[in-house]
Amino acid sequence: MMRFLAIVIVFFVVTCTALQPLDAADNPVDWSGDWTRSRSGGVAQWFEIHGTGGRNNPLRRPLAKPFDGDQLYVRFELRYDASSIDTPKNGNGEFLVLWLDEQDGGDTAGHNGGVPNIGLHVDGDANVFMARYASSSQHFSDIQLQGDRVYTVLAKIARSQSGGDQPYDRLSVWIDPEITDAESPAITVASSKAIRSIGWIGFATGMKTEPDDRISVSDLSLATSWTEAFGIAAPTAPVVKPPPPVPTTAATVSFADDVYPVLHKHCFQCHSGEAPESGLRLDCYDDLLNQLSPRDADASHLIALVASSDPAEQMPPPDDDAGRLTSDEIRVLRTWIDEGVCWDHHLLPTPTLESDHWALEPPRRPPIPTGIPTDRMRTPVDAFIAQKQQEFGTTPADTASWPTLQQRIALDLTGLPASAFPGLEQATSHEALDHWIDQLLCSPAYAQRWGRHWLDLARWAESNGHQHNRPRRHAWRYRDYVIESFQNDKPYDQFIREQIAGDELPADSRCLEATGFLAAARYSGNELDKEIQRHDILVDVVNTTAKTFLGITLECAQCHTHKFDPLTIRDYYRLQAFFTNGQPGNLLLGGVPDQASSWIKTRWQVFDTVHARLVDRKRAAGVPEPVLVIPKSVVAGMNAQERKAFKALDAAIASIPQVWGWSDADSETIVAPHEMRWPLTRDLKSVAELKTYLRLRGDPKSAGPEVRAGWPAVFGPTPDHVDSRTDLADWIASPQNPLTARVWVNRIWQWHFGTGLVATSGDFGTQGTAPTHPELLDWLADELIASGWSTRHIHQLILRSQTYRQSAAVSPSNQDADPECHSLWRWIPRRLESEAIRDCVLSVADSLDDTMGGPSVRDDLSNSSHRRSVYLQQQRDRIAESLTLFDSPAAVTTCSRRRVSTVSLQPLYLMNSDFMQSISQRFAERVRQTAGEDRHAEVAFRLATGRQPSGEEADRMQHYLQDHSLQSLCLVILNLSEFLYVN
Amino acid sequence: MSQHDWINRRRFLYGGGLGAGAMTFDLLRHAEATGAHPTHHAATASSVILLFMSGGPSQVDTFDPKPELERLAGKDVPESIARTVPKIKRAGLKNLMGSPWTFDRHGESGIPVSTLFPQTARHVDDLCVIRSMQHNNPVHGPGECVALTGTAAGDRPSIGSWSLYGLGTANESLPAFVGMNLHTDGMQFPQAAGWGSGFLPSGLQGTIVDPAQGIRHVAMPPQTNARQRRDQLELIRWFNRRHLEQFGGQNAQGQSELRARLESYETAFQMQTSAPELFDIADESKQTRSMYGLDQPQAKTVGRACLLARRMVQRGVRFVQVRVGGWDAHGNIQGNHTKMAARTDVPIAGLLADLKQRGLLQTTLVVWAGEFGRTPTMEGRGKGRDHSPAGYSVWMAGGGVRGGQIIGATDPLGYVATERPVSPHDFHATLLHALGIDANRLTYNHHGRDEVPTVFGGQAVGEVFG
Repeated sequence: MMRFLAIVIVFFVVTCTALQPLDAADNPVDWSGDWTRSRSGGVAQWFEIHGTGGRNNPLRRPLAKPFDGDQLYVRFELRYDASSIDTPKNGNGEFLVLWLDEQDGGDTAGHNGGVPNIGLHVDGDANVFMARYASSSQHFSDIQLQGDRVYTVLAKIARSQSGGDQPYDRLSVWIDPEITDAESPAITVASSKAIRSIGWIGFATGMKTEPDDRISVSDLSLATSWTEAFGIAAPTAPVVKPPPPVPTTAATVSFADDVYPVLHKHCFQCHSGEAPESGLRLDCYDDLLNQLSPRDADASHLIALVASSDPAEQMPPPDDDAGRLTSDEIRVLRTWIDEGVCWDHHLLPTPTLESDHWALEPPRRPPIPTGIPTDRMRTPVDAFIAQKQQEFGTTPADTASWPTLQQRIALDLTGLPASAFPGLEQATSHEALDHWIDQLLCSPAYAQRWGRHWLDLARWAESNGHQHNRPRRHAWRYRDYVIESFQNDKPYDQFIREQIAGDELPADSRCLEATGFLAAARYSGNELDKEIQRHDILVDVVNTTAKTFLGITLECAQCHTHKFDPLTIRDYYRLQAFFTNGQPGNLLLGGVPDQASSWIKTRWQVFDTVHARLVDRKRAAGVPEPVLVIPKSVVAGMNAQERKAFKALDAAIASIPQVWGWSDADSETIVAPHEMRWPLTRDLKSVAELKTYLRLRGDPKSAGPEVRAGWPAVFGPTPDHVDSRTDLADWIASPQNPLTARVWVNRIWQWHFGTGLVATSGDFGTQGTAPTHPELLDWLADELIASGWSTRHIHQLILRSQTYRQSAAVSPSNQDADPECHSLWRWIPRRLESEAIRDCVLSVADSLDDTMGGPSVRDDLSNSSHRRSVYLQQQRDRIAESLTLFDSPAAVTTCSRRRVSTVSLQPLYLMNSDFMQSISQRFAERVRQTAGEDRHAEVAFRLATGRQPSGEEADRMQHYLQDHSLQSLCLVILNLSEFLYVN
Repeated sequence: MSQHDWINRRRFLYGGGLGAGAMTFDLLRHAEATGAHPTHHAATASSVILLFMSGGPSQVDTFDPKPELERLAGKDVPESIARTVPKIKRAGLKNLMGSPWTFDRHGESGIPVSTLFPQTARHVDDLCVIRSMQHNNPVHGPGECVALTGTAAGDRPSIGSWSLYGLGTANESLPAFVGMNLHTDGMQFPQAAGWGSGFLPSGLQGTIVDPAQGIRHVAMPPQTNARQRRDQLELIRWFNRRHLEQFGGQNAQGQSELRARLESYETAFQMQTSAPELFDIADESKQTRSMYGLDQPQAKTVGRACLLARRMVQRGVRFVQVRVGGWDAHGNIQGNHTKMAARTDVPIAGLLADLKQRGLLQTTLVVWAGEFGRTPTMEGRGKGRDHSPAGYSVWMAGGGVRGGQIIGATDPLGYVATERPVSPHDFHATLLHALGIDANRLTYNHHGRDEVPTVFGGQAVGEVFG
């Protein structure tokens, strides 16, 4: 840098790069000797050029050796005195070019005909910037020359085909370029007849250049890359150390002859077969491996047990018939482990898993029960419910009142009170309600509420979680994708495919936004161990995918074969293998500008250059390996030029629409940088090379055998061709999958009634609860598939049913027969979720901002927003107080069902917070504007609860108003259980 | 109140659906039947004050003197020790660095404490120093989760929530588990899992308070007077009771929740009085304030929190977690730890002295711990130390702890625990043991697994109490 500045001041500037490599011989391009000047020249801080009225080459210089790389950038500054400029109208115009040629040719050589010329020439009536090979292949820019102004001219001379014998047939020119302009030159020109090497570079004047013209040029520099042309050195490729070779030792023990007899004699009596002692079987390869550290007998649990002298620990137990192992036998086991744990899969094949668990049987469409009184039947749902009630000996409650149903439907479908839908409040027949349900199911309000349900499953948030918890600025597009999907009743099978493999779908149905589902995994930015970092993300993705779509608790199998369900540790890592070659990142969306890729590439070049420099500097200062430099230090360590370029590039990249999504090398997405202290690699090609291993005991540092992608074996064999996420998605979204449709209709049921037909909606395994209505579950699952996976259809079947329209009245006889209300003999009131509470409060106060979509908003002291809660920023660990207080999930793991906590901090918030105080004031204003004073209480009550107060209730409120303000009453109403519950 | 009611009451206090293992249920029955403290064995503490030193205080500069470091300063970790160092990131093996502090023996026990903590050192006969804490996560966030929840993922209940789950609350007009996060300006953001309830009912999570502000929303709005509030509560109660009667029904699902709602308003009303009283330290003498360092600019933040911790314990708060950020001494151990000692030494010593003089130390377990320790080697060239979970020191005092003893040891460099390694699970089991709870019998069924606070098992360190 010093050198650069010094030369500018002293004389004509020639730099190659700001950072000269130590050995000039390595430089792909450099000058030889000093400038050769023609006899008519000039001397100044700037080099001043005058014309001669004819062809002249006032300044030219040879290269150290002819350049034959595929691209060369040449950059210089140019200034014309205003008085020097004449135009074709008032004179004959201007001419000045820089040329790059194979040879010099002397003061008056032409340097045209296949020679790249960059400069000024007349186009029509104007002097404009031009690039040309010959007068037949010249292009003009529309940038007109102005006097007394310094232009930066940058040209790129390149070959369209690589190779020393190919012509430099492509010429691009930028005037006053920014670093983001790589893909948008001002002029481009091509010529197949062009020079094939560059030996000399010079400036030429012509007939139009007059002797009294004062033209200055300066800062001429050469570069071989775009960033280098901006004074940023090319990054040096890091030295990649090959991984240490896996030790291979010739096996000296045979499994069948040496090891098997020992295991058989001492272990298998208890630890083999289907019901082994302590659930631990040693006759199964994977399970035995889990007790070992291959190639490290010292660290192997099995050895510790058989060699232990502690009677409480030792295996076999001291009093066991199997007897202690001899030292020779222990030595055999040790050698076998140290040699890598060979196995005879014919002798001891991995047992096949079988299960007769109901949820793994294919659903069959059951007949709709008959003989149910028609007045109790509005949809077939009622028939199944009535049948079960007969078994329980319960009778259904009466139909709820119209206002109750209006409020119930509004809250359940939209998370807003009935008063938000004035037309709904007029619906006083079943048919009118049916009509309203259909309307609400197409409304944004419905999609916002039900999309939020899905976001719980997706453990979606807008920050990385863990210690640094950096924001994910583009994650909101997944939220909008989900909401839009609900609003359009996107077929559920498509919804699955997009979320698991949206980046892999064919171009016309590609959906990168949807991959935000996978990418919502937490991601530790302060993890230096890249294997652990990646493993943690994959574990999150596998657990969430398995539970969300399949309702299985696969997470147990991360460390060991599932204790209850037919899922093995191998199943776990086979499912992981579908995701191993991808990772989260900011994916650029459709309509990406052409320059996007080059901006990102250039941005990383700048970054890597500075990073390498800082590492070198620290290393030279004696910092021990590994030398670590965090991104923040890299930015801080940039020089002004680098920082300017870096910021400009980052700003340009940030302006492109993108989503925090999931992709791999195959999906060919363009990935923008994200801010992170120790990020994942950005080299997706290296990620594509990663293999998946069984991780013994769930420990990422204990790699077992390699596994290939597949679904859990209990669902049947995975075909050989299966390896992509699309394959996985197709399997999950198949009508033949026994779980997918059942799990989804059960979730819908749960969100309508508070409890699913399977109460453990995230666990359809043997430890989950059995369905209360297995036939209804299967019938709904079949309806889902038959309707083309229409969620809306299932809503309609449920909401139109008589079962849904019951009142919550308690009947003592039902209570005795079925105290837990499994037979759904009444509506069970349930508290609203945190988001709905806040939204309802805003709605009754007529203060809800119903803007849809877009980046999330903050709602705190410095910035209050009244948008729907689903649009509030979901930063992990910093979710709004109003939401966490009423049990919003922490977005760490998938949440199938919200908890309901009841703590005293809730009333404190509902009564004392600034938010509730100001909202109750607005609520009171709304009531005052709506009705006369004698009706205030009644109107306020109706807006909030959807019904008229009874006489006694009205009296109570009137009485209260004698002593207290309407605002105070409004606050009371917002605290009522009735307001906060779906009744 | 009938036994049945009492159980229901517990159910809704915890947000319904306790779903607990038999143990808790039996404890409740036991408690109801006898009125005794519901525990597995006789408790030696009824409250815990956990002083969590976030960032990782260095063991070899505080409670684990290693003269050998002085001798080997500038050298690499000898191979004999290097091969025992877990192969985890950040475990630097070059350039050993002696401690900038000296160690003096204190009290009758003669336990050495570095000159960093002259005040705490005076209480050394009450401290049980464990020098052999060990786990394998060297990163702050997950390390903090390991230290406070048992695993790195941050999805399990905190030790405070488990304590509350086992014991229930002793004062319903205050939150039973209170956290204070102090000096959080560094990079080590508080990990919400550290006071979260994980899969336990969310009502068991810690309530985070600002020591200067108290519990949020406790203050009535200025325009509301006591009479209005009373009338508001009366009207709410009237409506909510009707709602309960209409929709409740004997034993019906949701009924306990609705009744809990009614009660939560009563408790909230009490909290409006009790919480400001708790946070108003005007009645504390000048001498007491001074004891906690409230008159020292550097110490007053931690001092106020420690004083509040004592006031909370006096009022029946079960678990107080004071998190002091800033111990992450990468660049300059001397500067950093000197600053941190100035923040904490006087307040912590004051807390111990004050609890003792009030007779509260007998029933209050005070614990001092970070998420890990630091390497005996220098990190880079800045005279700091990197993270190291392979062997680090914590201490416990009060609540049945036998003071004046040292448990466990590290190697001659203080790098790896070599004698009686204690895992975070053992540590949690030890805390719960003091509260009368057997950690491996305190179960909560989650996804079909009877989860325990110790994850896969851990044993209380019995010597702590013996």
